Amino acid sequence: MQKNFLLIVITTLGQLISYNKAFAQEQTTIGMGNYSGVTVTASSGSPMGIRTLQQNGYLPNQSAASRFLSQATFGADSAEIKKVTEQGVEKWLDDQLNLPNTFSLKDYVQSIHQAKVDSLNRSSPGNLTLLTSGSSGWYFDVAWFQGSVTAADLLRWRVAFALSETFVVSRISSFGNNPYALASYYDVLMRNAFGNYRTLIDSVTYHPSMAVYLTYMNNHATNVAGKIFPDENYAREIMQLFSVGLYELNNNGTTKTDASGELIPTYGNDDIADLAKVFTGLSWGDSQYLGDRSEDIWSYTKRLKFFPIDSSDAIKRPWKQNPTIVNGHEYGAKTFLGSTIPARPIEQGEQDIQDALDILSNHPNVAPFISRRLIQRLVTSNPSPEYVNRIATIFNNNGSGVRGDLKAVVKAILLDTDARSCECDEKYFTGMLREPFVRYMNLVRGLDLEATGGVFRNRMNEVYNQTEQRPLNSPSVFNFFLPDYIPDGKLKEAEKYGPEFQLLNSQTLTGYLNALNEWLIDNDPVDYSGYFSGEKNKPAERPGFDLTKYYYLTKDSRLTELIDKFNLVLAHGRLSEKAVSNIKSVVLQMPYVETNGLPRATEANRRVQMVLFLIMASPDYLINR
Amino acid sequence: MKRRDFMKQAGCAAMGSTTLLSSLTNLKAFNGVLGKSSISSPNPTDYKALVCVLLAGGLDSYNLLVPTGNNIGGDNGYNDYISVRTDLAIPRDDLLALSNPNEQPLCNGFGGLSCEYGSFGVHPSVTGIRDMFNDGNLAFMSNIGTLVEPIANFTEYNSKKRPLGLYSHADQIMQWQTSVPQSRNALGVGGRFADLLHAANSYEQISMNISLSGKNVFQRGKDFAEYSIGNNINANNVGFESLPSYWSNTGLLTQLRNAAVDSLVSQNYANLLQNTYSATAKQSIGSFEIFKEALKRVPSFNTVFPTTDLGNDLSAISKVIGVRNELGAKRQIFFVTIGGWDMHDNLLDGLNGRLPQVSQALKAFYDSTVELGIADKVTTFTISDFARTITSNGEGSDHAWGGNSMVMGGAVKGGKIYGSYPRMSVDNYDRNVSNRGHYIPALSTDELYAELALWYGVSPYDLCYVLPNLGNFYSYAPNNYPVGFIDFAGTTVSSDNKPQGCTTY
Repeated sequence: MQKNFLLIVITTLGQLISYNKAFAQEQTTIGMGNYSGVTVTASSGSPMGIRTLQQNGYLPNQSAASRFLSQATFGADSAEIKKVTEQGVEKWLDDQLNLPNTFSLKDYVQSIHQAKVDSLNRSSPGNLTLLTSGSSGWYFDVAWFQGSVTAADLLRWRVAFALSETFVVSRISSFGNNPYALASYYDVLMRNAFGNYRTLIDSVTYHPSMAVYLTYMNNHATNVAGKIFPDENYAREIMQLFSVGLYELNNNGTTKTDASGELIPTYGNDDIADLAKVFTGLSWGDSQYLGDRSEDIWSYTKRLKFFPIDSSDAIKRPWKQNPTIVNGHEYGAKTFLGSTIPARPIEQGEQDIQDALDILSNHPNVAPFISRRLIQRLVTSNPSPEYVNRIATIFNNNGSGVRGDLKAVVKAILLDTDARSCECDEKYFTGMLREPFVRYMNLVRGLDLEATGGVFRNRMNEVYNQTEQRPLNSPSVFNFFLPDYIPDGKLKEAEKYGPEFQLLNSQTLTGYLNALNEWLIDNDPVDYSGYFSGEKNKPAERPGFDLTKYYYLTKDSRLTELIDKFNLVLAHGRLSEKAVSNIKSVVLQMPYVETNGLPRATEANRRVQMVLFLIMASPDYLINR
Repeated sequence: MKRRDFMKQAGCAAMGSTTLLSSLTNLKAFNGVLGKSSISSPNPTDYKALVCVLLAGGLDSYNLLVPTGNNIGGDNGYNDYISVRTDLAIPRDDLLALSNPNEQPLCNGFGGLSCEYGSFGVHPSVTGIRDMFNDGNLAFMSNIGTLVEPIANFTEYNSKKRPLGLYSHADQIMQWQTSVPQSRNALGVGGRFADLLHAANSYEQISMNISLSGKNVFQRGKDFAEYSIGNNINANNVGFESLPSYWSNTGLLTQLRNAAVDSLVSQNYANLLQNTYSATAKQSIGSFEIFKEALKRVPSFNTVFPTTDLGNDLSAISKVIGVRNELGAKRQIFFVTIGGWDMHDNLLDGLNGRLPQVSQALKAFYDSTVELGIADKVTTFTISDFARTITSNGEGSDHAWGGNSMVMGGAVKGGKIYGSYPRMSVDNYDRNVSNRGHYIPALSTDELYAELALWYGVSPYDLCYVLPNLGNFYSYAPNNYPVGFIDFAGTTVSSDNKPQGCTTY
């Protein structure tokens, strides 16, 4: 038995059985029986033999490539599928991980703002400037869409979106109308997507949008006489949502229990009270004193400034002989999560923040906490503890002694067998319900949406109005859905998670299908917007889907090919025969006209639209597995 | 056979692969079959509705209901309040005075705890709430919060079972909706009501639970989920949009498309996520026809609702209640959320901006139930994650625990503050557990819900299915009600006093 094992590599579903994950230092057995320590060798001396059996030698077929892209990007298209099948997953990933971040959302927002100002100045000469002519929150959406559709670093865009759902800042806040506040924050996520967790948590903490969102802008040391205490909001949420979570975790993401089987809270109110003291003394980058207001809309783009001392009284009332000068930052030792930040001279108080971020990011919970969330955003709602453990291990040490290397973590998540191998039919809870916003992007990418002149101007209203999801539009700091959400029905019985189901109800379900109606049937996929009133509307430049290249497949005898084409791009081949047959039977009953042997555009177009609509409405597409 | 078993079977047999085209014929088959088996919660013959308004984020409710005693007769409430709340305190002259319509004391205390103060007012902007209180149609629950079992003081706070994730939004919001604070897997209170009472309604396909705010825990039951609607109440908005009218054969193609969508979600999926998605889709699709037909008969109202989000949502609820007969509904539960209460900052301005919306919308909603002639058949109540710290963090407050909530309706014995209003102090007060001012609740969510349950028609036998922890707080006995805010005169409540069939967590 031990010597006779059968090596099977099934290609049709991209299913891998044999591999040796070089980066995670783990062996797995293959074939009949389950014997450990089996070493794979090739009969010839050629290295290609070994590489074929290992992850990095295997070239995926089209479905596997499409599936990979559905995890690593906002969606596959034919060109990218071809690339992945030719290069292989690992090369594609390495290239992507090494691409620089070239799109600045803040700069693009400013260019829209500037374009508006310039145009208005031209049409009725005045002296409008960026300062005197307002901007709108939706510049952020236009910038976001422009970047996501034109930038080459597809993976970075996908990962930044995933990060935006953990390190949540939302326009449902006091700065929702300030596109610079939104864009600048999103740029932080983009810049740090392949960086280090420790740097990310620092940049997030020091960003004014986060300071306003979680109310520690101008947070002040305790005023004992006045019985006023430091705001606890950020202290609580940075622990609960950005680093350690509520309960102690094993490295594989499962919760630890104490002797009586109870969960072990990571922190209590005392930890919160002390950590709250750390986040005191921070104000706007252009503030004169602690407590100062923001200067203008660009205040939201400047790193926070630290004020150890509160001299607001002296600065605001310079005539006073004896102004009240107090500590702005809380003095004294602070203890939380079992560590103590020592008392230090108040002028050095900013070091408290760095110490606190060190304590937080070094907590053993962080690796499983962050790893599990990233896996849930990209690959599956229910990663196995082993999967989480492998990724958390990389988080703890990327192989070169570095902790928190997000590049290594992302690579590990996507190359892991649990992501690459499609055990779709064995485990009944593989995969994830595609987020509504990601479905929209799947369509946009899958159909190669183009714009004349390359400018899309998409306000992304429809997707938000119908499905309640859009970047930086979460209802609260808890994101659109919780990582531990369990919907009713079979998932609840099996005690498996389905975070995205929290957004699913009769309204959003209907809304999604009605949105598909608008995007496809009405061919109105972009909320094309003017930048200012009176701007000349150029309907020819309005982006839409060009489906003409598919017309030739709309005749009855070629419908199956038509469906297969989109099945590959949108659903990486997962549509069942029954689903395909369902779709086909509807389309067959739609009118079809040929003139001179060629399909007439009107009818052909509608057939293609119907195929797309029904694919996007199928559970085989909706659940990505 | 037990009614519950019967309902399960009926649920499974019914929906199969019904397409939109045949749902109406299936309905007729239903009407004959449903209804008359032996049950513990008797099939109601009248109509009743519960409306749950979630104030998401943790309302600072000690600035909603404020003691006004200015050292009159020993009541020093306001001075205590202003001393501890510092820059969060509302000027005394701005508060709207509360009075009981029968000149009774406002507050009697609860469960051996006294009410710390005698005279109260409400936030200056909530004139609607003040009016309803003084008219006797609205009551406050005071120092109410999540509890697994009673906790008397700081010592017990450290020794007894406490709610999970106390002070955390996600957990506390959930626990107000489940009333099972020791679990993260509990069903919602409204869902459990539906499990027991949905047979009262003629149409299986229309959930007893209707949500204006999407998915929520409150309405999640064992067998039934909520039906989500938007507040743009219009028959044309129900279901999937048709294909454009300029498509040839548009009517037929729309039907074919819809049938295909239905068919795609009617397949048997082994994958649990696909299965779950399909079940949701089927439930929604099954509701469309009836709902659409019913909405064509929405009555017009004289009551003017404010056009705020909450106003629009409550107005939508009134309209749906207006077609309750067309929906075949005898029991309904509505759920709506209004967020933005997590005021760690700018609290005074924040409340000034937001509370008027609540007050005006609630008042309009109450008036609309009067207009429909069923004011005593609709009871509305507010819930919120938690109250906020009594002390300030510099113009804002942080997360706390027990606070004040409201119950309103014609069946409510209003003009009273039930529960036990706490002492406004962080020193020397048993129920305070920190230097910031977090109060251990004196009244549990269980007791609030138990009273609503009895009014709503849940029999004492079934009480602990609805509220698994209730036994820690209350035992049913005829004429012994959990809190006392409902006027039970005329309502039939079973004299069966043996609660059984409790779920344990």
